Amino acid sequence: MEIVIHIVTVLVVLFVVLNIAAGLIWVERRLLALWQDRYGPNRVGPLGLMQVAADTIKLFFKEDWVPPFADKGVFILAPAIVMLTVLMSFTVLPFAPGMQITDLNIGLLFVLAMSSLGVYSVVLGGWSSDNKYSLLGGLRAAAQMLGYEVFMGLALMGVVLMAGSFSLRAIVDAQSKMWFIVPQFVGFVLFLIAGAAEMRRLPFDIPEAESELVAGFHSEYSGMKFGMFFVGEYVGVVLISALISILFLGGWHGPLLPPIVWFLIKMFAFIAFFILLRAGLPRPRFDQLMSWGWKIMLPLALANLLVTGAIVLAVK
Amino acid sequence: MAWLFYVAGAVAIIATLMMLTRLNAVHALLYLIVSLLAVAIVFFVIGAPFVAALEVIIYAGAIMVLFIFVVMMLNLGRRAIQIESAWLKPGMWVGPVILAAILIAEVAFLVAGPGGPKIGAEVVGPQEVGIQLFGPYLIGVELASFLLLGALVGAYHVGVAKVKEEHGNHSDESRAVAGGDFVRAGTDRPAGSP
Amino acid sequence: MDAVWPIGLYFVLVVLLIGAMLVGSYVLGQRHDDRATGSPYEGGIVSEGSARVRFSARYYLIAMFFVVFDLEAVFIFSWAVAAKEVGWPGYWEIVIFIGVLVATLAYLWRLGALDWSGEPRRRREGKAMPQKL
Repeated sequence: MEIVIHIVTVLVVLFVVLNIAAGLIWVERRLLALWQDRYGPNRVGPLGLMQVAADTIKLFFKEDWVPPFADKGVFILAPAIVMLTVLMSFTVLPFAPGMQITDLNIGLLFVLAMSSLGVYSVVLGGWSSDNKYSLLGGLRAAAQMLGYEVFMGLALMGVVLMAGSFSLRAIVDAQSKMWFIVPQFVGFVLFLIAGAAEMRRLPFDIPEAESELVAGFHSEYSGMKFGMFFVGEYVGVVLISALISILFLGGWHGPLLPPIVWFLIKMFAFIAFFILLRAGLPRPRFDQLMSWGWKIMLPLALANLLVTGAIVLAVK
Repeated sequence: MAWLFYVAGAVAIIATLMMLTRLNAVHALLYLIVSLLAVAIVFFVIGAPFVAALEVIIYAGAIMVLFIFVVMMLNLGRRAIQIESAWLKPGMWVGPVILAAILIAEVAFLVAGPGGPKIGAEVVGPQEVGIQLFGPYLIGVELASFLLLGALVGAYHVGVAKVKEEHGNHSDESRAVAGGDFVRAGTDRPAGSP
Repeated sequence: MDAVWPIGLYFVLVVLLIGAMLVGSYVLGQRHDDRATGSPYEGGIVSEGSARVRFSARYYLIAMFFVVFDLEAVFIFSWAVAAKEVGWPGYWEIVIFIGVLVATLAYLWRLGALDWSGEPRRRREGKAMPQKL
């Protein structure tokens, strides 16, 4: 019986995550259109909802082109890595009591490890394409992700310190009285920024900056391989939003409504926030972005950690 | 769980062998990453989840990225492949392999002896590691911080020397892009200029 | 800790999914071969030379800093999870540890290693910085 529950959980999580990610393509375009005072996709199906299906079918029937000058094996591997690493992170997230694939005592480290492996997709994608713009995009992406990964982990350590565990379920349980966003507001802001940078969302989409670099590291990708980078980005947005809800907003905790509903409300609020960021912010210069990461974010994350540690120990 | 240990171990060994025999440096590094991930699984199975996570974060996620960066930066091309093929001649590796085989035989003999620990019999969580590191081993942690300080300062000075050199000789046959700095290409204009 | 095998199952399903996407796209996609199909797209300009060029050492610096700071972060991780257990002695230890880290960061900052805009900082500040780096 328990085995059946596990299998069902695995299937449900994978199915729901992929569908939310695909649905986001529609949600993002409609929301952007709303904020920019235009219609967005509204022709295919009611409210344009079938746009997602139309896009998927289109991608499948596009030419699946592997450049003759590319390093073919690595070229195909790169989009697979992005999907794999982002999707694997969902295995340790607790969505509601009992709704979790596995609770590891290194859960948070597992997520960080997967995100550190995600760097390879952009580096290898850019390198294997043998295209100068791709290479530049890939290197920029890697430099950016590396710069922001350091304090992404450090920003979360305040939460770990208060919960005393890397297990995400223990972290949610520790927030039954007070959400960590209150004592860990600095960590929350830092992680929000690092998350956007890690997922290469605007204003951190410099690696793809279409006005400078064609399409960055995926210039040479077509068909479903391009689609996989695309889906990977949206799954990444879902992942970061889910993580913020779990780590800082008490996960499933909330009055009246069932736990999973609370979780989804929080998660979608952050998804909408990330889309709003894209609608509202310009793109900074690459060197500014790198300097911000090292000069402002990293010292702030360290200071936050030391202050949190002193307070926690003093209260105890 | 024991079978998982042996499968992961076998993957690690095969991936390492593949890494050694690849001629293309990036392909070799990819196999090395697979090998490190397999070693992480081995650590996880024998009851050291924290070390497993660190193996992925530090070795597979950081040091290998550095390696790939360096390989991509140097872009040695065909000449490197020729050198690699020269290294793969039997004369180069037979001697070390025999010595290593003797060592493996010794280790196998010791491990096969009675009273070895069971796989995954005891799980050491991240918290215990932290308590040990910041309790009895505090001097080690502080020494590590000084070591890392040295690494950072050293890396910077070595790197800057290289940048200078590149600026000096970008007009000759070196294949560096003009100015030798891809980052600068789009970012060194004064703000506001078209 | 729960059973770990569901992660394995999930992993297998994800790999199958990725395989299906790659194969499906390969089977369903159209094929064509025109004059310029096999050339790289570099902004519409005919590609010149190979993309196998050498880079500035600046990227090496970024990767190197990342590795070292990641290692320091890992020590901080292991303190954070055990902070309540190791108490004040552990706290002062991590203060020293982070102090050394911040000192290094300040040193690099002063040398201009954290400016990615191309020129080292000494160029702009004139005599303020030592000339021999």
